[in-house]
Amino acid sequence: MSIIEAKELSKSFMQAVKEPGLAGAFKHLLFPKHIEKVAVKPLNLSVEAGETVAYVGPNGAGKSTTIKMLTGILAPSAGSISVNGINPYKKRMENAAQIGAVFGQRTQLWWDIPIVESFSLLKDIYHIPEAVYRRNLDQFIELLGMDEFIHLSARKLSLGQRMRADLAAALLHNPPILYLDEPTIGLDVSVKQKIREFIKKINEEQQTTVMLTTHDLGDIEDLCKRLVIIDHGSIIYDGSLSEVKSRFARNRLIFFQIAEPLPLLMEQLAATPGMKLVQQSELEFSVAFDRYEYTASDVVSRVMRQGEVVDFRMEETGIEQVIKAVYDGNLELNHAESGEVAQSHAHSQA
Amino acid sequence: MSLGRMFYLYRRLYVQQLKAILEYNKDFYILMCSAALTQVLGFIFLWVIYDRIPDINGWQFWEVTFMYAMIFLTEGVASLFFEGTWRMARLVNFGEMDRYLLRPVPVVLQVFCTGIGINGLGNLLIGGVIIWQSLAHGQVEWTAGKAAVIVLLLVTAVIIRVAINLAGNSAAFWIRNAGNAFPLMVHNLADLAKYPITLFPQAIRILISTILPYAFISFFPATYIFGKSEWSGWWMLAPVAAIAMAFASYGIFRFGLSRYESTGN
Repeated sequence: MSIIEAKELSKSFMQAVKEPGLAGAFKHLLFPKHIEKVAVKPLNLSVEAGETVAYVGPNGAGKSTTIKMLTGILAPSAGSISVNGINPYKKRMENAAQIGAVFGQRTQLWWDIPIVESFSLLKDIYHIPEAVYRRNLDQFIELLGMDEFIHLSARKLSLGQRMRADLAAALLHNPPILYLDEPTIGLDVSVKQKIREFIKKINEEQQTTVMLTTHDLGDIEDLCKRLVIIDHGSIIYDGSLSEVKSRFARNRLIFFQIAEPLPLLMEQLAATPGMKLVQQSELEFSVAFDRYEYTASDVVSRVMRQGEVVDFRMEETGIEQVIKAVYDGNLELNHAESGEVAQSHAHSQA
Repeated sequence: MSLGRMFYLYRRLYVQQLKAILEYNKDFYILMCSAALTQVLGFIFLWVIYDRIPDINGWQFWEVTFMYAMIFLTEGVASLFFEGTWRMARLVNFGEMDRYLLRPVPVVLQVFCTGIGINGLGNLLIGGVIIWQSLAHGQVEWTAGKAAVIVLLLVTAVIIRVAINLAGNSAAFWIRNAGNAFPLMVHNLADLAKYPITLFPQAIRILISTILPYAFISFFPATYIFGKSEWSGWWMLAPVAAIAMAFASYGIFRFGLSRYESTGN
């Protein structure tokens, strides 16, 4: 059975409708008007134990609302959730004991007391046995480099330090499930790296199920094998990261460096449908092509037939472009059928 | 969760909070003294009135000071140990309740420990002194049973006070702004119970004996302690009022919490 199971889960909020100005405010006071705002449309999601899932989507897509329902903070409007067999909203405390959560924008630590004291409070709150607490604390201090700031209060920490402390705080009680809501937001590259390595290690060693929302594509590529994309409250893609890349990252780019100028080749390439030529100089150019129309060897052999290639390198489309396309509404993932449409279209043109 | 564990966690959270306050709030002496001063001024006001009129509606000076002091003694206890209820508007409106909902500890317990009103110490001390003086100077026939009942009435008084604070501040779940005008209004109605309720019209008497049972903090205990025969036996409703108010206010809090919507990032 899946460790996280959401069925037909949805959430809508009542939102006050106020007309502008003082008159509007008075009117609202006397005759309050509300509209229902749907944050999450009925969605189904199941996550297996030990999986790492990236839950992505543009701002306001419903990511945080979903996470808040899964963690038991918000009551779902409809549908059911089971996390390790527990309904997180109805049995909030039981659920809280088995999850860890980091919300990047907001600390879970006590603002005014030293981090190490916060940890010791959490030890009592989560009933962590002394031996487990010691072992975890020592390990986390080492892995996250927390030595230098563990005796400071949360208010004195930099964002990167605070986030590391928060991550440690969320994992002290060895939760089988970890929710991360933008854990690397606003952090520098080295701290990001540290945090990613740490999460990876915890996932591998303890089989911790990780569900992560992020805008940082590095987080996704480094940590997650599965990608779930949500937009306007609905899941528009749910599958493996490599599949989304192979299915939708259609464009390939090859850079060439040639020994001598080949104006004829340039003309040919520029005139070929489905290829796009960008010339940096007489000796350097790149060709972008749809990999469902041409193979890389097609392109390379065309160039090599005409002249000597000094160097070439190929660039793969990152997940970044794919997700950006989804956010922009340019790509309907569920409707896009792999290549065939585009291919026949290309043939009819040719 | 067992009661023992709840007390333990409350103590742990409270002590940490206290450490933080002692470190950061250097002005707590001033807060404490100003609270004490306010109450002393109120006491002097009563003294001036009673200097002219020795008996108001059948109530003597030290009997009224007892009621007066009960109101701010309980206020002192409430702000010293349950000040967090007054932070509810902030917790709700800034989505800080999220953090509490993520921990396997009852939310209401965490709310209580959100802050400490150190000024409560001033109220507690002055209130304690005036109550002690009232009991010493008033006409009280002491028995062991009476002493035990007085302790019970003190406990129920604190419960009523804290329960009303919790219920009033739960308005934050419905009134979505960071101010706390509504709970403050509810809180200030306690001033009515600083005096014998017989001074007030029927409607007010009923209000502060039922929906907002402030009279069970001050007036009804006073009728028992000072042996007012026309009210004999009424004090027995104080524990009833305390239990009912505690359940009602926890119910309101839970219902409010079910409406909690967090905030966007």
